[in-house]
Amino acid sequence: MALRTLQEDFQAAVLDDPAHFVAQVVNTATASAECRIDIYAQAYRLRLLEALAGDYTKLAILLGEAQFESLGHSYIAAHPSRHPSLRWLGRHMAAFLAATPPWSGQPLLSEMAAFEWAQGEVFDAPDATALGPAALAAIAPESWPQLRLQAHPSLRRLDLSCNVPAIWQALEDGDEPCERHCGAPTQSWLLWRQNLDIHWRSLSVDERWALDAWRNAASFSELCEGLCEWLEPERVPAHAAGLLKGWVNAGLVTALRSD
Amino acid sequence: MPDTRPIPQRPFLGFGLGLRTDHYHSVLEQRPAVDWFEILSENYMVGGGKPLHFLDRIRLDYPMAMHGVSLSIGGTDPLNADYLRELKTLIERVEPQWVSDHLCWTGVKGQNLHDLLPLPYTEAAVRHVAERVRQVQDYLGRQILLENVSSYLTYQSSEMPEWEFLDSVAEQADCLILLDINNIYVSSHNHQFDPLDYLHAVAPQRVMQFHLAGHTHQGNIIVDTHDQPVIDPVWALYAAAVRRFGAVSTMIERDDNIPPLSELLDELEQARRIAAPILKAPAA
Repeated sequence: MALRTLQEDFQAAVLDDPAHFVAQVVNTATASAECRIDIYAQAYRLRLLEALAGDYTKLAILLGEAQFESLGHSYIAAHPSRHPSLRWLGRHMAAFLAATPPWSGQPLLSEMAAFEWAQGEVFDAPDATALGPAALAAIAPESWPQLRLQAHPSLRRLDLSCNVPAIWQALEDGDEPCERHCGAPTQSWLLWRQNLDIHWRSLSVDERWALDAWRNAASFSELCEGLCEWLEPERVPAHAAGLLKGWVNAGLVTALRSD
Repeated sequence: MPDTRPIPQRPFLGFGLGLRTDHYHSVLEQRPAVDWFEILSENYMVGGGKPLHFLDRIRLDYPMAMHGVSLSIGGTDPLNADYLRELKTLIERVEPQWVSDHLCWTGVKGQNLHDLLPLPYTEAAVRHVAERVRQVQDYLGRQILLENVSSYLTYQSSEMPEWEFLDSVAEQADCLILLDINNIYVSSHNHQFDPLDYLHAVAPQRVMQFHLAGHTHQGNIIVDTHDQPVIDPVWALYAAAVRRFGAVSTMIERDDNIPPLSELLDELEQARRIAAPILKAPAA
């Protein structure tokens, strides 16, 4: 028996089909081959479910134990782990929930998954030193129009149609479940890491646009031009400078350049 | 035939624990009497944030060893080049005393079952694993340690006992051994052999580290769950291991049902109490 065949048969047995593998395992008086194989099959499901439950603590509460387990089994069958670390097992969960009945009928589930996964990404995104407020003061007035910023690698933006962050927080705090509502218009959220901790806050329509433009390498003057969509032109420079100051103070900006 | 070669001088780190997130703050605040920490390599193969922050801070005060679970050295997919690259990057950051993984495979066809699956104990498997160990050692520029795993089944195709397989791989690959005392106990129960036969067969000059851990009974089988304290028969086997192998760096693994650090420190004291008189005694 080639090692490759043995491993393929063992893996098939763990995943769902022990037929080819049973005869390759020694039966003993203390435990049958089937029983011994089943230990690996059960441990596999438990281990992966545990990883998902760790990444999606509030989704698990929303669904309840039995339904979360059912979701987990379906998810694992659709997206088996192909990465050395379980850290990445759950990365398709939001898309899976959005596309797969019966969960696809409840946008709250997919959005909660997206919110929790984004928190995980923020948690261990690459490090970068954020600029302090003094960096803005050091910019020469003539450099402002060409100013471009570099975002902290942990920055994430999500558009949610449900009040997911409020529900998440209530579940985290063990409070009474807050009222759930979903529907248009969507609300934009910013998530990021500052001093190792995860933060989030909602974004106004203009800040959402400005944040996206900044991340697409827009200059300060281009930001100002775009913000005229929502503000009187004479108010725009001060507003844009205020946004920039807020981003710097939140630790979102790691570099400024004006070349 | 008994191995009569002299045991070379090996680094002895003393008595360590697995570094777990639950204990980060306690470790930094209390600077506990742990001689060294073992980290799970995959937990730190991330971009940044808290995992690497705490790793770097604790590394300043403690020696570390790196222990992986996804090398799949016995697998039949090609070695994962991305994984090895990340492992090497982490080695450069941590500068560990040594790097270990398991004598097992973890999946095929690109899939990872995230389990430490046993290999058939055959000459062909020895050659297969030894060749891959040599590739890994060449790439990392250092010897690695391979750990004996707990197993719940044996293959019809096996041609030798597990200890002979372990020794043969270590010899052919010129790698080192991380001997898990609990895994020997667990497998001896599951496959009905004498754990002392195992201990007495392993080549002393290759053993660089011991693991101790707890386990759980599941029907007639013992499962290596790392969620309980070390039990007395495993302590007894540990004493026998210290008698045979001498001063070998020892650590306690706890991966689930993790107690306060103080409980693990008490358990570590027990390991010290067992080893001390044996290590002080004049050689027989």
